[in-house]
Amino acid sequence: MEAIEHPPIFRLPGIPDHVTYTWLVMVILAALTFVASRNLQLVPRGLQNFLEVLLEQFQQMIDDVMGPEGRRYLPLIATLGLFILTGNLMGLVPGLAGVTSNLNTNAACALVVFVAYHWIGARKQGLVPYLKHFAGPVPLALKPLMFVIEIISHLARPLSLTLRLFGNMVGGHILLAVIFLLMGLDGLIGWALSGSVPGAIIGGIGGIVTIAFTVGFLYPLKILVAFLQAFIFVMLTMLYISGAIEEAEHSEQHSGHH
Amino acid sequence: MRRSLILGGLAVLAFPTAALAAEGGTGGWIAPFAVIAAGIGMAIAAGLCGLGQGRAVASAVDAMARQPGAAARIQTAMIIGLALIESLAIYTLVIALILLFVKGINFA
Repeated sequence: MEAIEHPPIFRLPGIPDHVTYTWLVMVILAALTFVASRNLQLVPRGLQNFLEVLLEQFQQMIDDVMGPEGRRYLPLIATLGLFILTGNLMGLVPGLAGVTSNLNTNAACALVVFVAYHWIGARKQGLVPYLKHFAGPVPLALKPLMFVIEIISHLARPLSLTLRLFGNMVGGHILLAVIFLLMGLDGLIGWALSGSVPGAIIGGIGGIVTIAFTVGFLYPLKILVAFLQAFIFVMLTMLYISGAIEEAEHSEQHSGHH
Repeated sequence: MRRSLILGGLAVLAFPTAALAAEGGTGGWIAPFAVIAAGIGMAIAAGLCGLGQGRAVASAVDAMARQPGAAARIQTAMIIGLALIESLAIYTLVIALILLFVKGINFA
Protein backbone atom coordinates (compact mmCIF):
# COMPACT_ATOMS: atom_id res chain seq x y z
CA MET A 1 0.00 0.00 0.00
CA GLU A 2 2.93 2.32 0.60
CA ALA A 3 3.75 2.20 -3.10
CA ILE A 4 0.79 4.36 -4.10
CA GLU A 5 -0.10 6.27 -0.96
CA HIS A 6 1.88 9.25 0.17
CA PRO A 7 2.74 9.25 3.87
CA PRO A 8 1.10 12.04 5.88
CA ILE A 9 2.98 15.27 6.44
CA PHE A 10 2.95 15.09 10.23
CA ARG A 11 4.19 11.92 11.93
CA LEU A 12 5.14 11.12 15.48
CA PRO A 13 8.18 8.85 15.72
CA GLY A 14 7.40 5.33 16.86
CA ILE A 15 3.63 5.77 16.73
CA PRO A 16 1.57 4.47 13.79
CA ASP A 17 -0.04 7.14 11.64
CA HIS A 18 -3.61 6.04 12.22
CA VAL A 19 -3.14 6.33 15.99
CA THR A 20 -1.72 9.84 15.66
CA TYR A 21 -4.63 10.93 13.53
CA THR A 22 -7.15 9.19 15.78
CA TRP A 23 -5.85 11.45 18.52
CA LEU A 24 -6.27 14.40 16.20
CA VAL A 25 -9.91 13.45 15.57
CA MET A 26 -10.46 13.09 19.32
CA VAL A 27 -8.92 16.51 19.95
CA ILE A 28 -11.06 18.11 17.23
CA LEU A 29 -14.30 16.62 18.51
CA ALA A 30 -13.51 17.31 22.16
CA ALA A 31 -12.52 20.91 21.42
CA LEU A 32 -15.65 21.50 19.33
CA THR A 33 -17.99 20.17 21.99
CA PHE A 34 -16.11 21.98 24.75
CA VAL A 35 -16.24 25.33 22.97
CA ALA A 36 -19.89 24.82 22.04
CA SER A 37 -21.04 23.83 25.53
CA ARG A 38 -18.90 26.27 27.53
CA ASN A 39 -21.50 29.00 27.44
CA LEU A 40 -24.86 27.30 27.00
CA GLN A 41 -27.80 29.46 26.06
CA LEU A 42 -31.49 28.82 25.88
CA VAL A 43 -31.67 30.19 22.35
CA PRO A 44 -28.64 28.59 20.71
CA ARG A 45 -26.51 30.43 18.21
CA GLY A 46 -23.49 29.56 16.12
CA LEU A 47 -21.56 26.44 17.06
CA GLN A 48 -23.99 25.37 19.76
CA ASN A 49 -26.83 25.60 17.26
CA PHE A 50 -24.90 23.53 14.73
CA LEU A 51 -24.08 20.77 17.20
CA GLU A 52 -27.64 20.71 18.50
CA VAL A 53 -28.98 20.27 14.97
CA LEU A 54 -26.46 17.47 14.43
CA LEU A 55 -27.46 15.65 17.60
CA GLU A 56 -31.14 16.13 16.86
CA GLN A 57 -30.56 14.32 13.57
CA PHE A 58 -29.09 11.39 15.49
CA GLN A 59 -31.97 11.53 17.95
CA GLN A 60 -34.54 11.46 15.19
CA MET A 61 -32.84 8.50 13.54
CA ILE A 62 -32.82 6.67 16.87
CA ASP A 63 -36.51 7.45 17.40
CA ASP A 64 -37.34 6.12 13.95
CA VAL A 65 -35.37 2.91 14.23
CA MET A 66 -35.34 1.98 17.91
CA GLY A 67 -38.38 3.75 19.33
CA PRO A 68 -38.40 5.76 22.56
CA GLU A 69 -36.25 3.17 24.36
CA GLY A 70 -33.29 3.99 22.16
CA ARG A 71 -32.65 7.46 23.62
CA ARG A 72 -30.45 5.90 26.32
CA TYR A 73 -27.93 4.78 23.72
CA LEU A 74 -27.59 8.19 22.06
CA PRO A 75 -24.09 8.84 23.54
CA LEU A 76 -22.65 5.59 22.17
CA ILE A 77 -24.26 5.95 18.76
CA ALA A 78 -23.58 9.64 18.25
CA THR A 79 -19.97 9.30 19.38
CA LEU A 80 -19.37 6.45 16.95
CA GLY A 81 -21.06 8.34 14.14
CA LEU A 82 -19.19 11.59 14.68
CA PHE A 83 -15.85 9.82 15.08
CA ILE A 84 -16.27 7.78 11.91
CA LEU A 85 -17.57 10.73 9.92
CA THR A 86 -14.67 12.95 10.99
CA GLY A 87 -12.19 10.18 10.28
CA ASN A 88 -13.66 9.55 6.83
CA LEU A 89 -13.59 13.21 5.91
CA MET A 90 -10.06 13.63 7.23
CA GLY A 91 -8.87 10.94 4.82
CA LEU A 92 -9.88 13.26 1.97
CA VAL A 93 -7.61 16.11 3.05
CA PRO A 94 -4.27 15.86 1.24
CA GLY A 95 -1.44 15.49 3.72
CA LEU A 96 -3.49 13.92 6.50
CA ALA A 97 -3.86 10.20 7.07
CA GLY A 98 -7.29 8.64 6.82
CA VAL A 99 -8.17 7.23 10.21
CA THR A 100 -10.79 4.81 8.93
CA SER A 101 -8.68 3.55 6.04
CA ASN A 102 -6.77 1.46 8.55
CA LEU A 103 -8.19 -1.93 9.49
CA ASN A 104 -7.33 -1.56 13.18
CA THR A 105 -9.41 1.57 13.79
CA ASN A 106 -12.46 0.02 12.17
CA ALA A 107 -12.00 -3.23 14.05
CA ALA A 108 -11.87 -1.28 17.31
CA CYS A 109 -15.14 0.50 16.51
CA ALA A 110 -16.82 -2.73 15.41
CA LEU A 111 -15.69 -4.60 18.54
CA VAL A 112 -17.09 -1.81 20.71
CA VAL A 113 -20.43 -2.26 18.93
CA PHE A 114 -20.26 -6.06 19.26
CA VAL A 115 -19.55 -6.04 23.00
CA ALA A 116 -22.03 -3.23 23.61
CA TYR A 117 -25.05 -4.80 22.00
CA HIS A 118 -24.49 -8.19 23.63
CA TRP A 119 -23.99 -6.46 26.97
CA ILE A 120 -27.17 -4.41 26.50
CA GLY A 121 -29.17 -7.47 25.47
CA ALA A 122 -27.92 -9.57 28.37
CA ARG A 123 -28.59 -6.74 30.85
CA LYS A 124 -32.08 -6.19 29.48
CA GLN A 125 -33.27 -9.79 29.34
CA GLY A 126 -30.96 -11.67 31.67
CA LEU A 127 -28.14 -13.85 30.45
CA VAL A 128 -29.98 -17.16 30.14
CA PRO A 129 -33.06 -15.90 28.24
CA TYR A 130 -30.75 -13.92 25.97
CA LEU A 131 -28.68 -17.00 25.19
CA LYS A 132 -31.83 -19.08 24.83
CA HIS A 133 -33.04 -16.71 22.18
CA PHE A 134 -30.14 -17.66 19.91
CA ALA A 135 -31.78 -21.05 19.35
CA GLY A 136 -34.75 -19.36 17.71
CA PRO A 137 -38.35 -20.47 17.27
CA VAL A 138 -37.72 -23.92 15.78
CA PRO A 139 -38.48 -27.51 16.88
CA LEU A 140 -36.33 -28.87 19.68
CA ALA A 141 -34.33 -31.19 17.43
CA LEU A 142 -33.15 -28.27 15.32
CA LYS A 143 -32.21 -26.00 18.21
CA PRO A 144 -28.51 -26.98 18.53
CA LEU A 145 -28.02 -26.44 14.81
CA MET A 146 -29.76 -23.06 14.93
CA PHE A 147 -27.67 -22.06 17.93
CA VAL A 148 -24.40 -22.70 16.12
CA ILE A 149 -25.56 -20.95 12.97
CA GLU A 150 -26.76 -17.94 14.95
CA ILE A 151 -23.44 -17.71 16.83
CA ILE A 152 -21.55 -17.70 13.54
CA SER A 153 -23.83 -15.04 12.10
CA HIS A 154 -23.31 -12.88 15.17
CA LEU A 155 -19.55 -13.32 14.90
CA ALA A 156 -19.73 -12.23 11.27
CA ARG A 157 -21.31 -8.90 12.21
CA PRO A 158 -18.19 -7.13 13.53
CA LEU A 159 -16.22 -8.62 10.63
CA SER A 160 -18.60 -7.19 8.06
CA LEU A 161 -18.79 -3.82 9.84
CA THR A 162 -14.99 -3.60 9.83
CA LEU A 163 -14.45 -4.71 6.27
CA ARG A 164 -17.27 -2.61 4.80
CA LEU A 165 -15.87 0.63 6.18
CA PHE A 166 -12.28 -0.34 5.42
CA GLY A 167 -12.99 -1.49 1.88
CA ASN A 168 -15.01 1.57 0.97
CA MET A 169 -12.42 3.99 2.29
CA VAL A 170 -9.34 2.23 0.92
CA GLY A 171 -11.09 1.52 -2.36
CA GLY A 172 -11.76 5.23 -2.77
CA HIS A 173 -8.17 6.16 -1.99
CA ILE A 174 -6.82 3.58 -4.43
CA LEU A 175 -9.24 4.80 -7.09
CA LEU A 176 -7.95 8.35 -6.63
CA ALA A 177 -4.32 7.20 -6.75
CA VAL A 178 -4.89 5.08 -9.85
CA ILE A 179 -6.70 7.90 -11.68
CA PHE A 180 -3.78 10.24 -10.95
CA LEU A 181 -1.35 7.52 -12.07
CA LEU A 182 -3.21 6.85 -15.33
CA MET A 183 -3.42 10.56 -16.10
CA GLY A 184 0.31 10.90 -15.52
CA LEU A 185 0.09 13.66 -12.94
CA ASP A 186 3.65 13.34 -11.70
CA GLY A 187 4.95 13.41 -15.28
CA LEU A 188 2.94 16.56 -16.02
CA ILE A 189 4.18 18.25 -12.86
CA GLY A 190 7.75 17.25 -13.66
CA TRP A 191 7.27 18.73 -17.13
CA ALA A 192 5.88 21.94 -15.68
CA LEU A 193 8.85 22.28 -13.34
CA SER A 194 11.45 21.33 -15.95
CA GLY A 195 12.22 24.98 -16.82
CA SER A 196 11.55 24.95 -20.56
CA VAL A 197 8.73 27.25 -21.66
CA PRO A 198 6.66 24.79 -23.79
CA GLY A 199 7.04 22.14 -21.12
CA ALA A 200 5.84 24.55 -18.48
CA ILE A 201 2.82 25.55 -20.59
CA ILE A 202 1.74 22.03 -21.56
CA GLY A 203 2.57 20.45 -18.22
CA GLY A 204 0.99 23.25 -16.24
CA ILE A 205 -2.25 23.22 -18.20
CA GLY A 206 -2.38 19.42 -18.22
CA GLY A 207 -1.74 19.22 -14.49
CA ILE A 208 -4.43 21.80 -13.72
CA VAL A 209 -6.96 19.99 -15.94
CA THR A 210 -6.13 16.67 -14.28
CA ILE A 211 -6.49 18.04 -10.79
CA ALA A 212 -9.67 19.91 -11.70
CA PHE A 213 -11.25 16.78 -13.16
CA THR A 214 -10.33 14.69 -10.16
CA VAL A 215 -11.37 17.23 -7.57
CA GLY A 216 -14.55 18.11 -9.41
CA PHE A 217 -15.64 14.59 -10.20
CA LEU A 218 -14.16 12.16 -7.69
CA TYR A 219 -14.14 14.26 -4.54
CA PRO A 220 -17.91 14.79 -4.39
CA LEU A 221 -18.30 11.06 -4.84
CA LYS A 222 -15.89 10.37 -1.99
CA ILE A 223 -17.56 12.91 0.30
CA LEU A 224 -20.87 11.21 -0.40
CA VAL A 225 -19.32 7.82 0.41
CA ALA A 226 -17.83 9.21 3.63
CA PHE A 227 -21.26 10.37 4.86
CA LEU A 228 -22.97 7.23 3.61
CA GLN A 229 -20.58 4.85 5.33
CA ALA A 230 -20.82 6.70 8.64
CA PHE A 231 -24.61 6.61 8.29
CA ILE A 232 -24.61 2.89 7.53
CA PHE A 233 -22.29 2.07 10.43
CA VAL A 234 -24.54 3.99 12.82
CA MET A 235 -27.71 2.53 11.33
CA LEU A 236 -26.48 -1.04 11.66
CA THR A 237 -25.38 -0.35 15.23
CA MET A 238 -28.90 0.83 16.02
CA LEU A 239 -30.42 -2.22 14.34
CA TYR A 240 -28.18 -4.57 16.31
CA ILE A 241 -28.95 -2.89 19.63
CA SER A 242 -32.68 -2.80 18.96
CA GLY A 243 -32.53 -6.44 17.91
CA ALA A 244 -30.87 -7.34 21.19
CA ILE A 245 -33.48 -5.38 23.17
CA GLU A 246 -36.58 -6.56 21.37
CA GLU A 247 -35.71 -10.18 20.96
CA ALA A 248 -37.89 -11.31 23.86
CA GLU A 249 -41.07 -9.88 22.37
CA HIS A 250 -40.32 -11.38 18.98
CA SER A 251 -39.79 -14.88 20.34
CA GLU A 252 -43.08 -14.67 22.27
CA GLN A 253 -44.85 -13.64 19.10
CA HIS A 254 -43.37 -16.55 17.23
CA SER A 255 -44.28 -19.08 19.90
CA GLY A 256 -47.82 -17.70 19.85
CA HIS A 257 -48.07 -18.40 16.14
CA HIS A 258 -46.82 -21.96 16.34
CA MET B 1 -14.50 -24.19 -30.04
CA ARG B 2 -14.94 -24.49 -26.32
CA ARG B 3 -12.04 -26.87 -25.95
CA SER B 4 -9.72 -24.54 -27.84
CA LEU B 5 -10.80 -21.67 -25.59
CA ILE B 6 -10.03 -23.71 -22.49
CA LEU B 7 -6.68 -24.77 -23.90
CA GLY B 8 -5.85 -21.16 -24.75
CA GLY B 9 -6.77 -20.04 -21.28
CA LEU B 10 -4.64 -22.76 -19.75
CA ALA B 11 -1.72 -21.76 -21.98
CA VAL B 12 -2.05 -18.12 -20.88
CA LEU B 13 -2.21 -19.19 -17.26
CA ALA B 14 0.76 -21.50 -17.66
CA PHE B 15 2.90 -18.90 -19.41
CA PRO B 16 4.04 -16.89 -16.36
CA THR B 17 5.06 -20.12 -14.72
CA ALA B 18 7.20 -21.06 -17.68
CA ALA B 19 8.72 -17.59 -17.96
CA LEU B 20 9.60 -17.46 -14.29
CA ALA B 21 10.96 -20.98 -14.28
CA ALA B 22 13.32 -19.97 -17.08
CA GLU B 23 14.50 -17.00 -15.03
CA GLY B 24 15.59 -19.22 -12.24
CA GLY B 25 12.76 -19.03 -9.77
CA THR B 26 12.87 -15.43 -8.56
CA GLY B 27 9.59 -14.58 -6.95
CA GLY B 28 7.89 -17.87 -7.62
CA TRP B 29 4.59 -18.31 -9.41
CA ILE B 30 2.31 -16.89 -6.70
CA ALA B 31 2.66 -13.24 -7.68
CA PRO B 32 1.50 -13.39 -11.33
CA PHE B 33 -1.37 -15.68 -10.47
CA ALA B 34 -2.30 -13.35 -7.61
CA VAL B 35 -2.63 -10.43 -10.05
CA ILE B 36 -4.77 -12.50 -12.42
CA ALA B 37 -6.95 -13.76 -9.59
CA ALA B 38 -7.41 -10.28 -8.15
CA GLY B 39 -8.53 -8.86 -11.49
CA ILE B 40 -10.90 -11.67 -12.45
CA GLY B 41 -12.33 -11.95 -8.95
CA MET B 42 -12.99 -8.23 -8.68
CA ALA B 43 -14.63 -8.21 -12.13
CA ILE B 44 -17.02 -11.04 -11.25
CA ALA B 45 -17.82 -9.53 -7.86
CA ALA B 46 -18.47 -6.06 -9.27
CA GLY B 47 -20.70 -7.37 -12.03
CA LEU B 48 -22.85 -9.54 -9.80
CA CYS B 49 -22.99 -6.84 -7.14
CA GLY B 50 -24.26 -4.44 -9.79
CA LEU B 51 -27.00 -6.90 -10.78
CA GLY B 52 -28.08 -7.37 -7.18
CA GLN B 53 -28.07 -3.69 -6.33
CA GLY B 54 -29.94 -2.92 -9.54
CA ARG B 55 -32.75 -5.28 -8.54
CA ALA B 56 -32.91 -3.78 -5.05
CA VAL B 57 -32.99 -0.19 -6.31
CA ALA B 58 -35.58 -1.04 -8.96
CA SER B 59 -37.93 -2.50 -6.37
CA ALA B 60 -37.35 0.40 -3.99
CA VAL B 61 -38.03 3.04 -6.64
CA ASP B 62 -41.13 1.16 -7.70
CA ALA B 63 -42.37 1.10 -4.13
CA MET B 64 -41.58 4.79 -3.64
CA ALA B 65 -43.49 5.69 -6.78
CA ARG B 66 -46.52 3.73 -5.64
CA GLN B 67 -46.45 5.16 -2.13
CA PRO B 68 -44.66 8.51 -1.95
CA GLY B 69 -45.70 8.97 1.68
CA ALA B 70 -43.46 6.11 2.79
CA ALA B 71 -40.52 7.25 0.67
CA ALA B 72 -38.27 8.13 3.61
CA ARG B 73 -38.62 4.75 5.30
CA ILE B 74 -38.22 2.86 2.03
CA GLN B 75 -35.11 4.88 1.27
CA THR B 76 -33.56 4.03 4.64
CA ALA B 77 -34.30 0.35 4.16
CA MET B 78 -32.91 0.53 0.63
CA ILE B 79 -29.66 2.12 1.79
CA ILE B 80 -29.19 -0.54 4.47
CA GLY B 81 -29.88 -3.27 1.94
CA LEU B 82 -27.48 -1.74 -0.56
CA ALA B 83 -24.79 -1.61 2.12
CA LEU B 84 -25.30 -5.28 2.93
CA ILE B 85 -25.16 -6.27 -0.74
CA GLU B 86 -22.17 -4.05 -1.37
CA SER B 87 -20.25 -5.54 1.53
CA LEU B 88 -20.04 -8.84 -0.38
CA ALA B 89 -18.21 -7.09 -3.19
CA ILE B 90 -16.10 -5.30 -0.59
CA TYR B 91 -14.97 -8.67 0.78
CA THR B 92 -13.67 -9.51 -2.67
CA LEU B 93 -11.98 -6.11 -2.85
CA VAL B 94 -10.22 -6.80 0.44
CA ILE B 95 -9.07 -10.20 -0.79
CA ALA B 96 -7.86 -8.60 -4.02
CA LEU B 97 -5.95 -6.01 -2.02
CA ILE B 98 -4.39 -8.75 0.09
CA LEU B 99 -3.38 -10.61 -3.06
CA LEU B 100 -1.91 -7.47 -4.62
CA PHE B 101 -0.23 -5.73 -1.72
CA VAL B 102 0.56 -8.14 1.10
CA LYS B 103 4.09 -9.33 0.58
CA GLY B 104 5.31 -12.73 1.57
CA ILE B 105 2.19 -14.84 1.29
CA ASN B 106 3.60 -18.32 1.31
CA PHE B 107 1.06 -20.87 0.16
CA ALA B 108 3.60 -23.62 -0.36
